Amino acid sequence: MRSLAIGATGMIAQQLNVETISNNIANATTTGFKKQRAEFQDLLYQNFRRIGSTSSDAGTIVPTGVQVGAGVRVAAVARVLEQGNLTVTDNKLDVAVNGSGYFQVQLPSGDTAYTRAGNFKLSPEGIIVTADGYPVQPAITIPAEAVDVAINASGEVMVKLDGQVAQQNVGQLQLATFANAAGLEAVGDNLFLQTGASGEAVGGNPGAPGFGRVVQGALETSNVNIVQEITTLISAQRAYEMNSKVIKTTDEMMQQASQLR
Amino acid sequence: MENPIYVSLSRQMTLRRQLDVISNNIANMNTTGFKQQRMLFTEFLERPGMHEQISFVQDRAVVRDLSAGGMMQTGNPLDLALTGHGYFTVDTASGPRYTRAGNFRLNDQRQIVDGGGLPVLGDNGQPLAIPNGTKDIMVSGDGTVSTELGQVGRLNIVTFRNEQLMTEVGAGLYVSDEEPQAAPADTKVAQGMLENSNVKPVVEMTALIEIQRQYQSNQKLIENEHERIRSAIQKLGRTA
Repeated sequence: MRSLAIGATGMIAQQLNVETISNNIANATTTGFKKQRAEFQDLLYQNFRRIGSTSSDAGTIVPTGVQVGAGVRVAAVARVLEQGNLTVTDNKLDVAVNGSGYFQVQLPSGDTAYTRAGNFKLSPEGIIVTADGYPVQPAITIPAEAVDVAINASGEVMVKLDGQVAQQNVGQLQLATFANAAGLEAVGDNLFLQTGASGEAVGGNPGAPGFGRVVQGALETSNVNIVQEITTLISAQRAYEMNSKVIKTTDEMMQQASQLR
Repeated sequence: MENPIYVSLSRQMTLRRQLDVISNNIANMNTTGFKQQRMLFTEFLERPGMHEQISFVQDRAVVRDLSAGGMMQTGNPLDLALTGHGYFTVDTASGPRYTRAGNFRLNDQRQIVDGGGLPVLGDNGQPLAIPNGTKDIMVSGDGTVSTELGQVGRLNIVTFRNEQLMTEVGAGLYVSDEEPQAAPADTKVAQGMLENSNVKPVVEMTALIEIQRQYQSNQKLIENEHERIRSAIQKLGRTA
């Protein structure tokens, strides 16, 4: 029966909904994480009585047809790119992006990945790296004799060397933006890769038109709103239950039909 | 002689199809812009031979409940919801299609596209593209899309004289043979919002129970009728 299959599409869709929500909740405290939302679409329709067919010899037109849908499918799991809150950490190498743009990170494979998580560290050579040790592009080296690091809103990295008064510019943080940042591919570890849907990365200095500014000593938290996630979770669970009720009802009706003598 | 069985059967067949419609409503209770559907039944009269009329059941039509769904705030600037009777226009290979699902986004050419990647059309019949290097997308109540650099275009928001004549083609899209008309003045675009489906879960659940019970009683009727015919044949056979 068709309603069995329709109920099944509903249960599958809600299951993916719950999975998306649980991933959001699991990453509620992940730096730079952007929440995702499952989006649904109705499936094809079958015409049992086409709209506009005639209903009598006199040529009366049926005002509405009999169209039965085939259920639901997940159209996309879209990433919501709202800015996360900034939390002050007072760590000199914690950098948050306020506005649009991604830090560029060089992967061991040589490819460039993009991230919003600015919890940077220093490598043994003094290079600014991510929490996983991947160098931030363009590479910036902090000299070993530096006593203080300052990063201004436009991404210039200044150091104060021991015994010197003047600050020294050691590099410039750059950001990348995309025509469609929602089309980036998440590969875990807070990293994203460029795809055909995202468009080419456009590099620029923080604060330039179309680029956000950077904030030193702060981190961007995830944009997950826990209360919202929990309410969505409840509604997803109820929807799942109702779809299973459809399947149960269909099953009972089929049972009755099969018990006919 | 078997007419009662056939009448029951006609009802059971329509009940099954009604169950399909209800299942589709329930499956789509979280689908953006989905409109719940109801089945209409009519009597189908027949006069077999010289006997009195017998009335069968026929499913005549599926009508859409065109009431607005609840609004959900998303904060995404390209999530657009429509209040009142209106539809966004999207472009497909086989002509324009109309939708209430406003979960739009940008594609790699910075065109506004719908959830399935189809370009959303402006009132000049062209896709709307957001210029590079802009970050604020503003959509006003009348559908004008602008960025901080100025106006980009206006969404093509239309309606139809008879919305029931629109046909679902899946993926939240509709097609109609009628000419689209400009949407009425009270149709407004709400930015950062999505229109939920207008499926009322409790109503669907009660309909589900009702269908099941009606199916059961029809089943009972068929069984009783079967029993009656059988005992009639047995009794007649005995006297002969």
